[in-house]
Amino acid sequence: MKDTLQQLLQGQQGFVELRYHKRTANSFVAQKGRVDVANHAITEGVGVRALVGGAWGFAATADISPRAIKRAIDQAQSNARMLAKVKAGPALELARGRLSHQQFTGPGYTELTQMKLEDKLAQVVKYERQLAAASARMHTARCQYKEIIEEKAIVTSDGVACSLQLAQPEFSMTAIAEQDGERTTGHKGAGVSGGWNCLFKHPALDNAVDETARIAVDLLTAKYPEGGQKTVILAPAVVGLLCHEAIGHTVEADFVKSGSVAQGKIGQRVASDLVTMADSGCETISGYAVGNLPFDDEGVETENTVIIKDGFLRSYLHNRESAHEFGVAPTGNARAWLFNDEPLIRMRNTYLMPGTSRLADMIAGVEDGYLVEGAGSGQADANGEFMFGTGYVWRLRNGKKVELLREATLSGIAFDVLQTVDAVSQEFLWDLGTGYCGKGQAAKVDAGGPYVRCKITVGGEQA
Amino acid sequence: MSHGATHEQESKESRESIEQTAQTLEKLANYGLDAAKKLGADAAKIATSASFQKRLVVENKVFSLANSLSSRSIGLLVHKDQKKGSASVNTVTEESINHAAASALALAKYSVPDEFLTLASLSEAPRAKPLPFLYTDELAAVDLVAIQGFMQEVLGRLTSDARIALDRFEMAVDVSCHALASSTGMRQAERQAMASWSFMGMGRDGEEVTGFDYDSGFALTKSAILPGCLRDSTAFVAKLLALFKPRQCPTYKGAILLTPRAVHELLVDSLLYHAGGRQVMDGKSRWAKSVGQRVVSDKLTLRDHPHDPRFSGATGFDSDGLPTKQQTLVEHGVLQMILHDCYSAKRCKGKSTGTSGGPFALEVSAGTNSKAELLRAHKQLLVVDRFSGNADPIKGDFSGVAKGSRLYSNGEDAGSVTETMIAGNFFTIAEEVLGVSRETELVSGGFLSPYILVGGVSVTGG
Repeated sequence: MKDTLQQLLQGQQGFVELRYHKRTANSFVAQKGRVDVANHAITEGVGVRALVGGAWGFAATADISPRAIKRAIDQAQSNARMLAKVKAGPALELARGRLSHQQFTGPGYTELTQMKLEDKLAQVVKYERQLAAASARMHTARCQYKEIIEEKAIVTSDGVACSLQLAQPEFSMTAIAEQDGERTTGHKGAGVSGGWNCLFKHPALDNAVDETARIAVDLLTAKYPEGGQKTVILAPAVVGLLCHEAIGHTVEADFVKSGSVAQGKIGQRVASDLVTMADSGCETISGYAVGNLPFDDEGVETENTVIIKDGFLRSYLHNRESAHEFGVAPTGNARAWLFNDEPLIRMRNTYLMPGTSRLADMIAGVEDGYLVEGAGSGQADANGEFMFGTGYVWRLRNGKKVELLREATLSGIAFDVLQTVDAVSQEFLWDLGTGYCGKGQAAKVDAGGPYVRCKITVGGEQA
Repeated sequence: MSHGATHEQESKESRESIEQTAQTLEKLANYGLDAAKKLGADAAKIATSASFQKRLVVENKVFSLANSLSSRSIGLLVHKDQKKGSASVNTVTEESINHAAASALALAKYSVPDEFLTLASLSEAPRAKPLPFLYTDELAAVDLVAIQGFMQEVLGRLTSDARIALDRFEMAVDVSCHALASSTGMRQAERQAMASWSFMGMGRDGEEVTGFDYDSGFALTKSAILPGCLRDSTAFVAKLLALFKPRQCPTYKGAILLTPRAVHELLVDSLLYHAGGRQVMDGKSRWAKSVGQRVVSDKLTLRDHPHDPRFSGATGFDSDGLPTKQQTLVEHGVLQMILHDCYSAKRCKGKSTGTSGGPFALEVSAGTNSKAELLRAHKQLLVVDRFSGNADPIKGDFSGVAKGSRLYSNGEDAGSVTETMIAGNFFTIAEEVLGVSRETELVSGGFLSPYILVGGVSVTGG
């Protein structure tokens, strides 16, 4: 396909980008002894962006014949010309960066594509049965497997010519336990950029059936945490959520241009000097992250982009357009969900760098506080205000884990909370591999980090 | 050819091709049903769709992208030996449909037997009554140049105050058709032309940045685009400008006033959960045996109007292929029905309510109080516009941040509030409804509701 696209670029005027994208998505859900979802979906086509007179035009076609793609090029150029007539502001230009020529096949791609769908479905059904049988108090056992198998080829008139094959499977299980009308939930999940075996070796799925059931059952008799400003140790999933939602979005260059709280703060202290935070498109720290990509959807090679270094804001996340505007190199953050989506600035694997403390020592240093495990839903605002749900909480007293408590909500102003960080663990985990980020389009992302001790507002049981 | 002529031609083609495409899809749907049968399926259902979209994007107050898209899809569900599998493709050729049918059957083979699998029969699913307001040639003919003209005018309003940091403003016209067909003889089809718009942004004044907000709307006629979008943009700008200089909210337990948007998030979402057939089927609903009983305050009435052009979700049939109809879910607090699709209905020994994929166009009935009366009802009152937080649908507990919210003191607006947490329980607030406003607002084109005053909520100021 790459060669066909390159031929279609011959003789084109101005900048043209052609992106072939075939996605095969398989998903299975087994619940309460039945199969609710057993679905196989293929979405395929070519997205065309044209830059004419400083304006973007986009068109897409599901018909991948050369004739249809040529028609889409004409349409994208016509759209751009129309917009150029009315577009105000400075002429749009693109930074070059490291334009890819890779032909990349991701780890586990062959393994996952050769494995029969029915074998995967059978495994999911088996896990659901095991989870359902794990406790007499089980009300609902639910197991979900999804895999995205990507094939892409990207060419541009200024030199990009790359292709990839990538596999991104994910698995999660949820247990709802019941006793005397009271119900509580346990959940475990992981996603990787890799194959079936890599997925089920992910540390987040260690002993997953027993752990998921145990959490659900143990929470039946647990109380809620008390609300208020607390010393807490945030587990990797919660740290990842904080990095992604509360910091990551505010440093996406398009959002910075709009006026996010990170605007104008490059070089300023925004966090404790224990905090170094990055967004990486390449394998970093461990091989289990799901957002690993050799290049982004503009064909720019990805990198490990350090956002905060020792507490100082160092970089925003860029596509080629914003990089030119800010006078920096693109960071490989332009991503499109499907062939008919235009690339937007998106995160990949967002994380806090591990530190030098040991988790056991961090717990030992807390007189009265909480260890917060498991990420729930989360949202953050343009001003850095955030609210996250969590899975469950351990009460810490006199340096020890003394009591399991139910879920809490965490809220605060992200940069204020990061200023209170006083310990960062050596232990590290990618732990949001089943997550999807929404920004008009979806994006498969991961996030994680070490355990982090800080002060934060806990919304627990109300008076 | 001039650019204007190019876009006019494009719109003409999209109108003509939607008709041709609908015919093509119907043929392919029949082909798909045959293919599934030949491969051994006991029963099959096909969903087909095609759409043409013209969309313009403004980022940071500047036109940034002009977009033309055409798409098609076919989704196939098969039953074999009381087991199911499904597959979908967006390249609608006989070859791709054969692949989808084979994949769906391969999955069905290894699925788990389920005696309750069912497809709507022809007698259950006669042809739905057409909804002519869903499609007009005039709207289908709106091209990118016309969209740009509308947006230019609205942009003037959105940028009328330099403190509005407009992140994104989009407008699109979608011309689409979708159809359902099954081996049981069910056949449904619908076409639609819809204009839609959305705004996202925040306020920024020097170093002060407000919370992020968004809104959206739609129109089903060309003449409704500009007035609708101007009205929504005016409300959006006013809302953002009112968020500056937030104050700390006092901590109290008592009443809060829910805006229509918050009514959906804190009341209606949970209500629909417990009235949902799937939840009843799985033992997650508290209202499994409550039809005919009072389940919430008698001040609450909730109806679904799938044939009402005021709602963007209006449709003639549900995703099982059953014709839709106006229905009352809750009348003066009494639960009138459980929302069943064909599957949950069979499991629960009931009948489908034609709400698979729905409800589609919900309205909470207006009350008898004026909004001003409700604002004056308490010395201090938090008016909650959005809820960002955790909600346990089974227990009804919720806890999170009140976004875009304001404090009223003795009925007077005392300003926006910062970092304010609210916590409570759905069943408590649904019972403790203290007042319902006469005034109603349409939320993002999909939900019509009054303001509702509820008690029993913990409010914690930041």
